[in-house]
Parts: sequence; C-alpha cells; structure tokens
Amino acid sequence: MKTSISVRMAMFAIAMHAIVLPALYFGFSLVVTRSDTDLFLQHVRTLSRNLAEELELGDALGSPTRVRNLLDQAVINGDGVYAALMDNGGEIRSELNSPGVKWLGRQDFTFRPGRNQIYFISLPISRPNHTAELRLGFDEQPIAEQIQFAMHRILWVLVVYLCISLTAAVVWGRSLSRPVMQLQRASRKIASGSYAQSMRVKTGIMELHDLGSDLDSMRNELVGVNQRLQIEMTEKMRAQEHRRELELRLRNRQRLETVGTLAGGIAHEFNNVLLPIVLFSEAALAESSKSTAIHDDLQEILNQAYRAKEVVQKILTFSRGAGAPELDSIDLKPVVEEALLLFRALVPATVDVRVELTGPYPLVRADPVMAVQMIMNLCTNAYQALQHRSGSVTVGLRHTVEQVDSEAGGTQRGMVVLFVTDSGQGIEAETLPRIFEPFFTTRGVGEGTGLGLSVVHGIAETFGATVSVSTEVGQGTTFNVHFPVVASSGVAEFSNEAVAGGSI
Amino acid sequence: MKSILVIDDEPAVRKALQRVLSKAGYAVQVADNGPAGLAALAIQSVDIVIVDIIMPDVNGVDTIRSIALRFPEVGIIAISGGGNFGPAQYQPYAIQTEAYLASAAIAGAHAILTKPFKSADVVHAIAKVANRVAGAETLN
Repeated sequence: MKTSISVRMAMFAIAMHAIVLPALYFGFSLVVTRSDTDLFLQHVRTLSRNLAEELELGDALGSPTRVRNLLDQAVINGDGVYAALMDNGGEIRSELNSPGVKWLGRQDFTFRPGRNQIYFISLPISRPNHTAELRLGFDEQPIAEQIQFAMHRILWVLVVYLCISLTAAVVWGRSLSRPVMQLQRASRKIASGSYAQSMRVKTGIMELHDLGSDLDSMRNELVGVNQRLQIEMTEKMRAQEHRRELELRLRNRQRLETVGTLAGGIAHEFNNVLLPIVLFSEAALAESSKSTAIHDDLQEILNQAYRAKEVVQKILTFSRGAGAPELDSIDLKPVVEEALLLFRALVPATVDVRVELTGPYPLVRADPVMAVQMIMNLCTNAYQALQHRSGSVTVGLRHTVEQVDSEAGGTQRGMVVLFVTDSGQGIEAETLPRIFEPFFTTRGVGEGTGLGLSVVHGIAETFGATVSVSTEVGQGTTFNVHFPVVASSGVAEFSNEAVAGGSI
Repeated sequence: MKSILVIDDEPAVRKALQRVLSKAGYAVQVADNGPAGLAALAIQSVDIVIVDIIMPDVNGVDTIRSIALRFPEVGIIAISGGGNFGPAQYQPYAIQTEAYLASAAIAGAHAILTKPFKSADVVHAIAKVANRVAGAETLN
C-alpha cells in the first residue's frame, strides 16, 4: 500500500506512543502512588507516636478527661476517624469518633480507588504500674482521592503530549514531503513537455536540496538537448523542403523538356519533309507555263509549304523556350547532393563515388535544374573515362578567390569551384582542345553521343561560369566549373585595392 | 560540268536535290550515309559535297571532318533540318541548330543551309563554294 510521508510519520508516531505512553503512565502512577502513600503513612505514624508519648508523660493516664482531650486532638489534627485508649479492660474513646467505625486492627494501606478504607494503628503505652493500648484509625479516602487526581493529571499531560507529538509528526512529515511534491510537480511538467519550471527546492534537508540541484542540471541538459534537436529538426525539414522543391522543378523541367525534345524532333522531321515539297514544287513551277491552273496550284502548294516552315519555326521557338534557364542565386551544395543521388543510382558498385562537401558555400547564379544536369553530364563523362574498370569519381565544391583579368585590370573574385575528378585514362594532348565540340567523342558507337561536354560548356556559359580541365594521361582528369560568387551573398569579394593595400 | 555528291539519309531529300541540281546542270551522285559517301568520293572525284548533319550511326559533322581531311579540294555544304535531336536527357537549348551548324563549320563546311531551302539558295551556295574552291586553287 502506498501512503504519503506525513501519514507514515503519524503512523510511526502512533506506533511508538502505543508502547511508550502506557509504560510512562504506569511508571508515573507507581511513583506518585508510592510517594503519596509514604507521606500519608509517615504522617499518621508520627502523629500516633507523638500522642503515645504525650500519654506516657506525667500522669496523663490518671485523668480520663485529659486522655479524651488528647484523643480528640489527634482526631482533629490527623484526619482521624477513630481514637481510643484501652486501659485495664476499660476503654476511653474520643467523642469525635465517627459512628459505625469498628476497630479492625488492619494496617495494610493499599490504594483502591472508589473504596473507603481506614488505616488502623495500635501503639502500646507503658507505665511503671500498668500498661495500656492506644488505638487510632485514619481515613484513607482523602489521600486516595489525591492520588487519583494526580493520576488523572498525568493522563491528561500524556494525552496533550500525544497530540503535540502527532501534530509534530504530521508537520515534520509535511516539511519532508513538500519539497518531494515540489520535485514531483516539476518532473510532471517536464514529462508533459514544459521545461521552464526549475527543479531547485527550498529545503533544509541536504539530500533533497542536492537531489533538486542535480535534477535541475539534468533539466538544463534536457533543455539544451531539446533545443538542439529542435534546431536539427528544423534544419532537416528545411533541407527536405528544399529537396522537394528541387525535385518538383526537375520533374517539371523534364516534362517540359520532353515536350521540347519531341517538338524539336518533329520540327526536324518536318523540315526534311518540306524540303522535297519545296524543291519539287519549284521544279514543276518552272516547267509549267504561267497563267495556267497548274501553275497557280503549284504556287499555292509552295506558299503553303513556306507557311508550314513558319509553323515549324514557331514550334522550334517554343521548344527552346521550354528549356530556358531560370537563373537565381542558389547554394550549389544541395544541387550537388541531388545530382549525386541520381548518379549513384546509375553507376555500378565498382565505381567509388566520393563527395567532398564541407560548406557552407556562398551563393552563385545558376539554374538548379540545369546545374544538376551539368553535374550529371560531368559525372557520366567521368564514369565513361573509367572504361568499365573500377575506379573513383570524386565530386565536390571549393570556395576560392581567383584572379580575374579584365580590361580595367586584374581583380580578385570569390569563386565557387565545382570539381569532378575521375581516376581514368586522362585526355591526350591533341584531343584536349576539342573536347567541348558537339559530336566530338572518343567513345565507340553507342557509348557516348559526344554531346555531354558541349552541354556542360553551354550550361556553364549560361551561368556566366567557366570550365577548366586538368588532366594527366594514365592518372585521370579533373573538370572544374568556376562559378562567380553573387556579390550580395555576404561573402567578401576582394577588390584590388583591398588586397594590395593601396599600392596602385 | 561540276559534279556534286549528296549525302543524306532521307530518300525524298536525295531525290529532290538530284532533280533540282540535275536540272541546274550539275552531275549529281547520291549516298545515304557518311561511309558510303566517302567510298564514292574515293572512286570518283567530286567538286562539291552536300552533307546532311544529322544522320544515324555516323553523323554529318564526323563525315565533314573526314572529307575535309581526306579530300581538302572538295567544297562542302552542310545542310540540316534544324530543330533539336539527340537523347532526351540533353536539353534542347544546349544542342540547338546553331550549335551543331557551328560545329559543322568548325569541322570544315564551307557553306551551311537549313532545310527547307529554295532551289535558288542551294544553287547560289554551290556557286559560292565552287568559286571559293576555284579561288583557293588559283591562289595555290
């Protein structure tokens, strides 16, 4: 069974007092009874002895009146109820004797509440000529009542003591349970997600105070962990949001491109169909005599063929518009991550795809979808450079400052360099100048179209970026795309003056 | 009489050019792909070659490059339907007509025509290229 601290303390106090209080009560009553009894007996015995001594003095026994007076005095002084002198068979009684009291000669004083008893004393009186016996009886009632009163008082004192100690137990228990309950409330609040409440408690109990301090430092740690977790979650959600947005744009773009490619393909086919129509019509027209129906008909065919050419031109314009870049200030890091996600899915496990991204990187001007395709093309080219052997493709970003030569002289500009390195065969010196030409390929038929790197070059130009290549035959090749940092991206761009320190 | 070789994968285009150029007074041969055209050139000398750029297997740019390399005296006219082509993963904007026509020029084409062109256009281009070749010969 579970009970609170104060209830336990009260129960403990009650259990303790159930043993201690009866013992105390009986102890006290024993002491009180004995001491009062002793006092009483001492008193009545002294009184009796004094009377006997007086009766022995002089000739007291000779005068019955004197004897009676003395006996009366003893009754009055000692709360006696009976006094008599037995002398030679005669009896002199105090006239103050209580009626009905008979000489019983009992001397055992025992305290029995609620019972009237009389304590009898017999003393011999010795004179040279004769002997007599002094008989006295004292009422035990008053002293018994006194004892009983004292015992009642003891009982009350103990009851009051019991009440005080129970109250003290409850109060003390409360003072113990109060900080514990305070801790409990605080920990419940923490459990329900509110961390503001301090766990420190005001208490004189060292252990509880220390426990509170320890729990509070635990709470502080928890608050820190919670904040870190929340920040991480927010960042993760933002990254996910970003990725979703990128994926959506990529998908939209791909759909548009499919339409564009289709339209472009149709345009190509149509132009091939239109050329014979135009040429044959012109040939026929030249051979037909003017102002004949055939001549007019052929002219009409030719006109319609030209009109078809215009329509095809419109389709072409549309197909180009479908792939038009949307330049924006973007962070390349998620773009590289997205491209690698696609690339990893395409290459076999023998290719070790490595990433070198530290960041954060300053913003550059680019279209994320086109950038993904550019990275994909560079990666595909790097993979093909491995020629089905195992090797590595490393993709990464680097933030550098580069010297840019212009008409106004050299300036230094912040650049984000995208690099794709392969461990392939490298590029021969004579083929190097031609790698960005459309249709140029060193691969066999069906392995590459020869368009990948020209696409990379085209996209880089669209971004205002430049492509550089470093290669060593047998060692591998690195393609670097140098993106100028957007001026407002918060990363310092160094002008000549700033770097040279006014040396102009 | 000038002799002309037409290399195009489209039969209708070959037939139409043959008709127009024969009528204009040229001796016209045709081939339906690059290697066949090169083989024909090796057998019989030709003054001017008209090459389509976009053809299956061996593309026109490679064909032009080979012709320019092996038969430098031959005048080359590149023709193309324009538009976009190639695998879907490449954007249409990057491989535009201009881009591959430009690469044809780099490869060694002396004139470039986009389909559909008029009979007069191709005759004019042939005359220009022939003069250029003639000029080059006189220079030599």
